Amino acid sequence: MTAFAIEIDNVVKRYAEHTAVKDLSLRVPQGAVYGLLGPNGAGKTTTIRMILNIIAPDSGSIRILGHPADDGSITDRIGYLPEERGLYRKMQVRRVLRFLAELKGLTKKEADSRIDSWLERFDLKTADKDWGLSKIDELSRGMQQKVQFIGTLLHNPDLVILDEPFSGLDPINAQALKDTIIDLKRNGKTVIFSTHIMDNAERICDSVCIIARGEKVLDGSISDIKDSHGTRNVALGLGGAPTTAVSTVLADRSLVRRVDDSNRYFEVEMAEGADPQNLLQRIVSTGATVNRFEIVRPSLHQIFLEKVGARGVEMGMSGHG
Amino acid sequence: MAKLWAIIKREYIERVRTRWFIFATIFGPIFFGAMIIIPAVMAKKSRSTMEFSNTRIIDATKTGIGQRVAEAMNRGRAPGAASPQVVLVDPSELSQAESTATKEVMAKQISGYLITDESTLKGEELRYAGRNATSMGDMERVRATVKEAVLSQRLENAGIDSSKVKNMTLIPLKLNPVRITDKGRGGSGTVSIIFAGAIAFLLYMTIVLYGQNVLRGVLEEKTTRVAEVVVSSVSPETLLAGKVLGVGAVGLTQQILWVITTVGMFKLRQPILHKFGVSTMPFDLPEISIGLALLLLLFFVLGFTFYSSLYAAVGSSVNTEQEAQQAVQPMLILLVATAIFINPILINPTSTLATVMSLLPFSAPIIMPLRLALGSVPWYELVISLVGVFLACLGAVWLAARIYRVGLLMYGKRPTLREMARWVSYSR
Repeated sequence: MTAFAIEIDNVVKRYAEHTAVKDLSLRVPQGAVYGLLGPNGAGKTTTIRMILNIIAPDSGSIRILGHPADDGSITDRIGYLPEERGLYRKMQVRRVLRFLAELKGLTKKEADSRIDSWLERFDLKTADKDWGLSKIDELSRGMQQKVQFIGTLLHNPDLVILDEPFSGLDPINAQALKDTIIDLKRNGKTVIFSTHIMDNAERICDSVCIIARGEKVLDGSISDIKDSHGTRNVALGLGGAPTTAVSTVLADRSLVRRVDDSNRYFEVEMAEGADPQNLLQRIVSTGATVNRFEIVRPSLHQIFLEKVGARGVEMGMSGHG
Repeated sequence: MAKLWAIIKREYIERVRTRWFIFATIFGPIFFGAMIIIPAVMAKKSRSTMEFSNTRIIDATKTGIGQRVAEAMNRGRAPGAASPQVVLVDPSELSQAESTATKEVMAKQISGYLITDESTLKGEELRYAGRNATSMGDMERVRATVKEAVLSQRLENAGIDSSKVKNMTLIPLKLNPVRITDKGRGGSGTVSIIFAGAIAFLLYMTIVLYGQNVLRGVLEEKTTRVAEVVVSSVSPETLLAGKVLGVGAVGLTQQILWVITTVGMFKLRQPILHKFGVSTMPFDLPEISIGLALLLLLFFVLGFTFYSSLYAAVGSSVNTEQEAQQAVQPMLILLVATAIFINPILINPTSTLATVMSLLPFSAPIIMPLRLALGSVPWYELVISLVGVFLACLGAVWLAARIYRVGLLMYGKRPTLREMARWVSYSR
């Protein structure tokens, strides 16, 4: 058994007008929850499609669970939830799930017993209503998403790939999804998901890879990434909106290199050689109420902004998924 | 293979379960049955309009030919029906009598009038005027009846006894056409034509209806993004094959059910028509040899695969139903052009048109079965046709698979032909 669920080496994918993925290499450890982060159009979906062997790279190699990506035997061990979700609208839920399971090599019998337990787990089958007997288009959007999620996991895959799984989920379904991801990890499965919401990634992922414009910006475990980005960050919370005096202090480039201003909450990156104590004194001396002052490691969000930059986001936006 | 089977099964079962399939499968044969029975009943009704009772015979010959015609007309008619009226006129009053009769026809008092004069006796000319003058069948009956009367008049003039003349001229001859093929006698000619036309029409309809079905299925999978999930489990080629085979099997099922029930109705045709008071000649359904049946099946499979894979390619390259309807036009033109020629070819199955259409790959799947059903086709033409359709089929599948696998994952604007040509060259 290899230690990596996914090994991507020097992969390139070109389309007529642009290069979607440029010389990408990354390793996803077995049993990890791995985040593929990047702005829209960074090449996340293209990368995922290549991992799934839906499209083939122009050059480079991809190995999944120790096999080449185009080895037909591994597709049954992968579960995939695409970014845009949809199912056969006129088909009964149970039949859709059975079909998806059969595509992954399950027999009808195996599928049926698992479908029941999954439907119960996601509250789609209760004492008074079995949604499994309804047609897809009779379900609410949230329920349809649950059905699709069940379809992704029904065959008990070793590698689960979720493309933007949190987009469009209400808080309750988002929570259920998060719980399931953690569950999968506990059961030794590898989960990869792409997102452009850094907070989700920071809370759930063991490791991440940030890509922009088809290139890897950085990758590694969350803690390694944070360590390598220093500890010169300060989380600052104020009792009220900042006064002009506070703003002046924060604008002092000899003290503060950069600040992410969220009105009453600030993530401050100290300037080279500046002392956080000095910052605290000067803010207190303006008369502002300080609720929180903590020396922190930078958030993934900060690292992302620093590495990709606003320009990178805009550049990426013009491309294709 | 198990996955291909899962796709075929889904396509098949989900379609067969729909209301529209059940409805069409049941009402199709009833519709066909109505097409068989109603014309027969109508024909009977229209025949009764030409029972001559409402026809006036204007006889300007003074030889009694008018009366003879009336008697001939009375023959073979239900007893008790009114005889046609015979008006004897002097040749000088003929135009007067004619214009009176014309007015009466216009006033719907009589349906038409017949004029017998000197030239009629000479066997040269006969005039009929009436509302049904455009009916070829009616006019032929008028001509035959008068001819019979003239003949008996001449026989009597030649000195033959009038009772003998009656027997001699009563010849209720009915033509019973029998078709002969390479294998010998094979059923009635008319039935063969109906049969061949039905086969061609059925093939055409199934290809159009179920080709559209493939297109809509592909488009649904694309717009709901189910396609993306499916092609992460099986290759796009497998999905395409499963769809074409599954939908094709639905079409075949419907055809077989239609054929079985229609044949059943043909067998019940006589008792049903009898209830309507129409007596018909019993006729045998054309015998379909195993060889012919297999050939028909082969042409259907090839033709359906050809068109439905192109439909699938169209479905994968567009984003909405409206775009699909536009993009599908060129193919529909090929199909409709073929359908337009079904009738002319039925009438003249040995024409060059028939030969050419049965060899061109796009029309061969419909026209060649028609020719096969009508009679013998030279073996080399059959081989050329089959090879052509088969190659075209391979080409269409190859092209469709390449467009399909790229198109399925491309959203946004509809591709131009140039872009689609580039898709074909993509490795994957």
